[in-house]
Amino acid sequence: MELNTEEMLLNMGPQHPSTHGVIRFVVKTDGEVMSAAVPDIGYLHRSIEKIAEKATYNGFMPWTDRVDYLAAMNCNVAYAMAVEKIAGIEISRRAEYLRVIAMELNRIISHLLAVGSLGMDIGAYTPFVHALREREKANDLIEELCGQRLTYNYARIGGVIYDMTPNWDAKVLAFLEQFEPLLNEFDRLLTDAKILKKRLGGVGVVTAEEAINYNLVGPNLRGSGVKWDLRKDMPYSVYPELDFEVPVGTGEAGVLGDCFDRYNVRMKEMRESVKILRQCFERIPAGEYQVKVPKKIRPPAGDVYVRTESTRGDLGVYLVSDGSDKACRVKFRCGSFNAMSIVEKISRGMMVADLIAFIASLDIVAPEIDR
Amino acid sequence: MQKLADLLIQKIPALQPVPVDFVYLGVQVVFALVMLMAFVAPFAGIVSWVERRIAARMMDRVGPNRVGPQGFFQWIADGIKSILKEDIIPTAADPILFRLAPYLVFAGMFAAFVTIPFSSGLIIADLNVGIFYLIAVTSIVVVGILMAGWASNNKYSLLGGMRSAAQIVSYEIPAGLAILVVVFLTGSLSIQDIIKGQGAYPWQWYLFDNPFMPVAFLSLFISSLAEGNRTPFDIPEAESELVSGYSTEYSGMRFVFFYFEEWANLYLIAAVGTALFLGGWQIPPEVKTWASALGGVVGFTLPHALEFATFFLKSAVIVFIIIWIRWTLPRIRVDQLMSLCWKYLTPFGFAASLGVAVWMVVFPQGVMSVRYALCAGAATIVLYFFYRVAYQVWYSRQPIHVNPFV
Amino acid sequence: MSEYLKNIVETATSVFEGMSITFSHLFRKPVTIQYPDKTERPLTEMIPDRFRGFLKVDMEICTACLACMNDCPIDCIIIKTKKDETSATKERVLTQFDIDEAKCMYCGLCTEPCPTGAIHFTKEFERATEDINDLVFKFVPEGQVIVPYKAPKKEAASGGGGALDEAEAEETADA
Repeated sequence: MELNTEEMLLNMGPQHPSTHGVIRFVVKTDGEVMSAAVPDIGYLHRSIEKIAEKATYNGFMPWTDRVDYLAAMNCNVAYAMAVEKIAGIEISRRAEYLRVIAMELNRIISHLLAVGSLGMDIGAYTPFVHALREREKANDLIEELCGQRLTYNYARIGGVIYDMTPNWDAKVLAFLEQFEPLLNEFDRLLTDAKILKKRLGGVGVVTAEEAINYNLVGPNLRGSGVKWDLRKDMPYSVYPELDFEVPVGTGEAGVLGDCFDRYNVRMKEMRESVKILRQCFERIPAGEYQVKVPKKIRPPAGDVYVRTESTRGDLGVYLVSDGSDKACRVKFRCGSFNAMSIVEKISRGMMVADLIAFIASLDIVAPEIDR
Repeated sequence: MQKLADLLIQKIPALQPVPVDFVYLGVQVVFALVMLMAFVAPFAGIVSWVERRIAARMMDRVGPNRVGPQGFFQWIADGIKSILKEDIIPTAADPILFRLAPYLVFAGMFAAFVTIPFSSGLIIADLNVGIFYLIAVTSIVVVGILMAGWASNNKYSLLGGMRSAAQIVSYEIPAGLAILVVVFLTGSLSIQDIIKGQGAYPWQWYLFDNPFMPVAFLSLFISSLAEGNRTPFDIPEAESELVSGYSTEYSGMRFVFFYFEEWANLYLIAAVGTALFLGGWQIPPEVKTWASALGGVVGFTLPHALEFATFFLKSAVIVFIIIWIRWTLPRIRVDQLMSLCWKYLTPFGFAASLGVAVWMVVFPQGVMSVRYALCAGAATIVLYFFYRVAYQVWYSRQPIHVNPFV
Repeated sequence: MSEYLKNIVETATSVFEGMSITFSHLFRKPVTIQYPDKTERPLTEMIPDRFRGFLKVDMEICTACLACMNDCPIDCIIIKTKKDETSATKERVLTQFDIDEAKCMYCGLCTEPCPTGAIHFTKEFERATEDINDLVFKFVPEGQVIVPYKAPKKEAASGGGGALDEAEAEETADA
């Protein structure tokens, strides 16, 4: 007599404590081992790109915050760079430095949340709260700079909206002073834990070739050993003047390109951001922080594509203008969307617990997928 | 317990025509109820409050502090809230098994409490197969969890229930082997005999008797964590993966029953560890004679109270360590859990039992210098630990704040 | 075999280290700010000056230029003016100035073009109510009209967009 074993269809539904945002995975599993995990996206679609056709160029800036709310500064700057490129506006050096400072601070904040929630999905609740504590201190600094903690609306076409408050740079440097030892302590608590290395090592291996074929970007690509960072390879803004390393995955906990490599790349990137911030504060020139732009910007007809290195990878903005004061088409190309495409391929033969670790290590943020 | 029953039969004439066995049974049942109401239930509630405060301080937060002084009555508020909740039973759930599962889980845990000694005279049922009965009866919990997983008619619950059954059943073996080692040293399965075989001072405990005993203690500790579904083995209730595992469909008081079992189980794990390895309720004999010599009611109750205090203190330290481990370590995966059990703990358990048997043949009375050396080794590890803690505090350059009540 | 022993040793040392770190956290001050019962300083001191709380309009210096309504990306400001037939000069008066604070996204695009700084952010954020219509702030009371402010000639000439000008205008308006 044969046992009738069917595959179970499990719905890691839109409401789940550990899919990062509102995404649905349809998982076919036989006990613990999965045969496929098919993602189902679209639950967070808010027609942001359509709203761009209705709002003026200046008025669209708050909406770019919501494209990826954890890396809001990067989205602001990417959109502002696209409009400045197509309208031919040059901004001052001080504004460039202020933008880079805000972006790197945002990178630290976003990576803290990424590694913290990876820890929480694995079951280590304490490092998550420690990461949030550091994040709150950095959020306080940004609140002092621009007034909000999550959706900043800081960049404007032509520069930034506010200059630094007096003594802000001393406060940020003090924060960085006490941040580095706490980051090392976080490392000792979570990164060196043998259980974490066992959970993440050798899980969800993405080879360099697969990563390039499936268009992964950012720490996901660098975790597979490919040394590609837009800040070094296609530099923009003031990045050519800054000196920092690009960390790559080394396969120290198992195989090159596993979840631990991506996690480790994020930890190292935070340290590089600290270095960049210190250099920016030394080199920032005096000057004005916003150039005069007309109230209604009417760029010449044409299209432009701008790429920046956001926290989740390559954030591209494709802007088509038809000469009026409203954009004809704005398209955002986000790193998380491509990260979703590789989930189905790699998840064959994994266990359900590993799927959670894999999704967390890809640092998927749902609003970026659906916009 | 028997002496108390005899005293009662003498004093109360109405009990004399009743057969003696029934009186013994009645007294045991009454005391079991008293212990449940006055010790187990408040302990489970208070340990939930303690766990939340300790977890909060480890995360640089404050923890519950609004309900009562320092939030002490939080567990009463939680209990009242759970009772007032609507009792939701899924339509497609198995009606009998769904309702029965929490009670089985609770019964399995509480039935083991009757053999836990509180002091040399305070034990509800001093069975001569005490420790064997304890391991056997805590396995009823598996049946309850599997029932909960199946009857919920929910694939997540089923996954959680199956994982839990595999986990608990596998970890019975290293736990049993560790207990076997202690039974070798004592020669009896009764818990009171095991405690009487130890002394009050650390070098008289079974933990430092010979080099294989710390291995057995660690093996028992890890296996008990796995049996109690505590992190790093809390896969059945892994919140981030299965939304609460086998208890997903439960709400209100039925849900609280599962967690009540988990918290009360902490005391059970700690009590077994204390009784078997850490000298139980033993106090130094000079203190005991001094206390009994005080005469009167005080002289009768003070030795028992001191013994209970010693037992409770040692168990409280182990409960603290269990809570502390939960908020430090990540969770391990199901197949890694199985490999930990079969490839690491079971071979070490067998090696330990073989080693202790050989040691007892070669050194029938034990070797005092080995005991002193092991004690010194443990003290060194504890001192090194506190040195590391001081280093962490110094390294982080944060201000020190020792007051537990913010 | 050495892999086996290495696993055991590494697990033991990493668990030891991790436990010492969490134990050391018991000796540090919690960072929680126990709002609203026990805060070390009053709330308005802890909030920075640029914080974007609820919007407020100083109707005495509003010039009814409608720049904020035109710039709002989400159309939450409603301003209605009418020609006042009764007055001598037949000038415009404001009959309605509503800001729907529930719809507002606190982006700040309305505060930038204001020539006098009449519309500005406050530090207030605690106005949770049960009726969403309570969050529509009406700055022109019912049935009244408000005459818009007319800036003296030389200051009106320098009005316009840009943050620097707004800061200047705010200072002169607040003085």
